[in-house]
Amino acid sequence: MRAMAVAALALVFAAVLTLTVGVREGGFALLWQALTAFDPTDPAHIAIHSIRMPRLIAGLIAGAALGMAGTIMQAITRNPLADPGILGINAGAAFAVVIGSLIAGRADNGLMAALAFPGAAAAAVAVFALGGGLKGDAGPVRLTLAGVALSAMLLSFVSAIILARNEALEVFRFWVTGSLAQAGMRPLGYMAVAAVFGSALAIAIAPRIEALSLGSALARGLGTNPGRIQFGALVAVTALTGAAVGVAGPVAFLGLLVPRLARRVGGHVLRRELIASAILGAAILLFADTIGRLVTPPAEIRVGTMTALIGAPMFIWMARRLRAGAGA
Amino acid sequence: MTSANNALKAENLTIGYGERTVIDNLSLDFPAGRMTAILGPNGCGKSTLLRALARLITPEKGTVTLGSDNIFSMDTRALARRLAILPQASKAPEGITVADLVRRGRTPWRGLFSAWSEADAAAVERALKEVGLTDMSERPIDQLSGGQRQRAWIALVLAQDTPCLLLDEPTTWLDLTHQIEVLSLVRERNRNQGVTVVTVLHDLNLAARFYDRLVLLGPNGMVAAGSPQDVLTEENLMTGFGLSAMVLPDPITGTPMVVPR
Amino acid sequence: MTVKMNAKMTAGIRGGLVLAAALLLAIVLSLMIGQIRLSVSDLWTGLLTGKGPGALTLRVLRGPGVVTAIGAGAALGASGAIFQILLRNPLAAPDVMGFTSGAGLAVVCGVLAGTTLPMPLLSAAGGLAAACAVAILAIKRDGTQVPITLILVGLGIGFLTTAGNSFIVTRLPPEQAAEAQRWLTGSLAARDWGHAAQVFGCGAVLAVILAIQVRALGLLELGDDLANGLGLRSNRARLQLAGTGVLLAATGVAVAGPVPFIALMAGPLGMRVTGATQPGGRIISAAVTGAIITVLADLAARSIVPGLQLPAGVMTGIFGAPYLLWLLSREMDAGDI
Repeated sequence: MRAMAVAALALVFAAVLTLTVGVREGGFALLWQALTAFDPTDPAHIAIHSIRMPRLIAGLIAGAALGMAGTIMQAITRNPLADPGILGINAGAAFAVVIGSLIAGRADNGLMAALAFPGAAAAAVAVFALGGGLKGDAGPVRLTLAGVALSAMLLSFVSAIILARNEALEVFRFWVTGSLAQAGMRPLGYMAVAAVFGSALAIAIAPRIEALSLGSALARGLGTNPGRIQFGALVAVTALTGAAVGVAGPVAFLGLLVPRLARRVGGHVLRRELIASAILGAAILLFADTIGRLVTPPAEIRVGTMTALIGAPMFIWMARRLRAGAGA
Repeated sequence: MTSANNALKAENLTIGYGERTVIDNLSLDFPAGRMTAILGPNGCGKSTLLRALARLITPEKGTVTLGSDNIFSMDTRALARRLAILPQASKAPEGITVADLVRRGRTPWRGLFSAWSEADAAAVERALKEVGLTDMSERPIDQLSGGQRQRAWIALVLAQDTPCLLLDEPTTWLDLTHQIEVLSLVRERNRNQGVTVVTVLHDLNLAARFYDRLVLLGPNGMVAAGSPQDVLTEENLMTGFGLSAMVLPDPITGTPMVVPR
Repeated sequence: MTVKMNAKMTAGIRGGLVLAAALLLAIVLSLMIGQIRLSVSDLWTGLLTGKGPGALTLRVLRGPGVVTAIGAGAALGASGAIFQILLRNPLAAPDVMGFTSGAGLAVVCGVLAGTTLPMPLLSAAGGLAAACAVAILAIKRDGTQVPITLILVGLGIGFLTTAGNSFIVTRLPPEQAAEAQRWLTGSLAARDWGHAAQVFGCGAVLAVILAIQVRALGLLELGDDLANGLGLRSNRARLQLAGTGVLLAATGVAVAGPVPFIALMAGPLGMRVTGATQPGGRIISAAVTGAIITVLADLAARSIVPGLQLPAGVMTGIFGAPYLLWLLSREMDAGDI
C-alpha cells in the first residue's frame, strides 16, 4: 500500500512539473494563480490553460492507457516483451487514422480518431495470428518478431502517406513516433471516455485473466471461458491503445517498462497491478515528456523518442534473459 | 600406413568447465591402426575426452600427442590432414547436395586458390562409394533418410583422408540396422587402410562386436581399458554404470554381451 | 552422375540468366520512367551518340542514381547473405540486427558535427560499433551466444539507434531535419557519379576480401567443431567474415542510407531463383537480387506519387515487412523459433 502511495505522489509531482516547467519560468505560484484566479488577459495563464492543461490531460490518458494495455497484454500472452508499440497495435491505430484522413480529406477530428479503434483491433488480431497464437503457440520471440514486422510495414505506409501529402515534419513525428506537443488539437474528451471504458473492462476481467494465465485447461476447470476472456482482453487493449494513439500518437515501449514496475508496486494481484500500471504509466510518460522539453530547449524531444531511449535498453536486457522456443 | 606415427596418446589430461573438473589426470593410449571405443554413462566426460583428442578444447593440464607431435602445437591444417573428427548431430546447410557436402571434407588438402584436383575428386568418389551413396550424390541432404544422412556425414570425414578418425556417437538416432551399417563401414576403412579409429559409443554390445579396444569411463574417472573381454566385466559395469548385469559370450561372435539383470 | 550434375548446373545457369535479365529490365525501366518518360530507343540513341534526352538522363538525371542503387543493393544483399549463412538463420540480416541503423546514426552524427571524414568511414565505424554491441550484449550468462538472442538484441539496438536518430533530428532546423529524416529512411534521390564510384570502389575491395574468405564460410556452415576438425580456426574466421559483412552493409548505407529489409530479402529470394546452395553462389545471387530490389524500390518511390520523391526505404518497408512475416511463419512451421 505504501508503494502505491509513493507511486501516486510521483504522479502528482509529474503532473505539477508538466504544468510548471517550461520555457518561461513561472513556478508553482503562477500555476496556483492560474488555477484559482484565472486571468484571461495574462498570457502565462492562457499558456497554462490552453497548452499545458491539454498536454497534461493527454499525458494522463496515454500514459495510464498504455501502461494498462501493456500489463494486460503481458498477462494474457505470458510474454514479457509484449507492448502495444512493439507488437504493432499502436501502428495499426495510427495507420487507420492516417488512412481515414487521407480518404476523407485533411480533418483530424474526433470521428477520424475513432478509426484508431478498429485499426488497433485489426492489428492486435493480426499480430496474434501471425505470431502463431491461433495454433496456440505464440512464443515471445515469434510474437515480437511478428509485431516488429507488422509495425515496420504499417509505419512505412504512414510515412509514405504523410510524406506524399507534404505535411509538416511535426505531423510526421506525431504519427510515426508519438508526441504530446499540440495536445490541444486532439479529441481529448472522446479518448478519455474510451480509456475509462477500457480500464473498467480490464479491471473487471482481471481475475479471469489471472485464471487463464494458469493455462487454458485449468482455467476451464475454474469455470471460465478462455475464448470470452481473450475477447474481453482484446476489447480492453483496443480501447486503451486506441485512446492513447488518439491523443499521443504511437508511443512505444511504455507498455514494456510499466508492468515490471507495477508488479513491484501492486504485488502479484492483477487488479492492483493494473491500477499501479495506470498510475506509473502516466507518471513515467509525464516525466519523460518534461525531460524531453528540458534537454534541448527550444527544441522539444518528442515523448515517443524519450520512451524509446529508455525502453530500448530495457528491451535488450529482457531479450538476453529470454530463451528461444515457444514455451519460454 | 599402420605406423606408430598415427597412434594417439593422452597424457595426464585434466579438463574442466569452469569450477567442474570433468576429466582428472587421465592417461590413455589409442594404438595406431586399431579401433577404440570410449564408453560410459552420461556426463562422465566421454565427449569431452574426444573433443580434447581432436583439439576442439584445450585441457587445463596434460597433452595429447599424435605420433611424436603434440597436437596443441601443430599447425591447424597439418593436423586436419592427419586427424578428422565428426562431431555429434551435425546440421547440414539448407539444400546442399551429398556431393557438395562431402567435397568440403577436402578443405585441408586444398590451397587458398588452388583448383579442384584429381586427387580430391578421387577421394570424394571413394568416400561416396564406401558409404554406398554414389547414386545419390546429387540429391539434397534434406531428402535423405536418417541413416543415409549419417552416412553422408561419415563420407565427409572419409574424404578428408586422414590416418586417424574420431567419431562422436555416430550411431545415435539410428535404428539397429543402420547402426550396424555405419559401424561396418568404419571398420572396413580401418581394416583396408589401417586407420586409427576412436569412437564415443553408447551401445556396449555393438562396441564389443566392432571394436578392438574399449575404454570405460565412470563417474569417478577411468574404470578400465583394454580388450572387450577385459573391460566388459560384471564388476566394471557396476563401477562404471552402477548397473547390475550378466556378461555372456555373444552367440554369434563370441565377444562379450551385456545382459542387464 | 555427370548427367545429373549438368542438369543441376543448367538449372543454376538458367536461374542466373533470369536474375541478370531481371536486373537489366529493372535498370531499363528505372531509366525510362520518371518526370519525363523516355522510350527504349531514346535511351539507346543517348547511349550510342551521347546526344538527346536519353544522354542527359543517362549522364545526369537518372544514370548516377540507378548505378548507385545497383552498388548499394548489391552490397546490402551480399552482407545479408553472409550473416544468414554465418548464423544459419534467414532472419539474421544486418538490417534486422540494427547494424545498418547504427551505420546511419554514425553518418548523421558525423555530418552534423562537421567532420571531414569520408562517409564510408563514418558508416563503417557506426556499423562496427553496433555489431560489437550486439555481439557482446547477446552473450548469455553461461557464455553462449545463440542466433535468436543475437537477433532480438539486434532489434533492441535498432530501436535504440532509431530513437537516437530521432533525438538528433529533433535538434535540427526544419529544412535540415526533413533532409536527415529522408536520408535515415533510406533514399537514393540526387545521387551523383561520386556516390556511384564510392560504392563500387569500396564494394570491389570488399568483394576481393570476401572471395578469399568464402571457403571458410562453407566450413563454418557445417558447425564449429567440424570446421575446426577440417583445419579452420573457426572463431577467427567468423570474426573476419562478420567484419566483411558489416563493412559491406556500411558501404551500402554510406550512399543510400539505412534502407531497410533489402539485406533480409535478397539472400533467400536470390537463392530461390538460382537454386544456389554453396556460399559463393548464394552471396552472388543475393547481391544481384539486392541490386534488383533496390533499383525497383527507388523507381517505385519516385514514380508512385507523380511529382514527388518518396524515400526508397518507405517502399522496402512496405514490401519487406510482409516478407519478414511470411519468413516468420515458415520458420515457425519448421519449428526453428
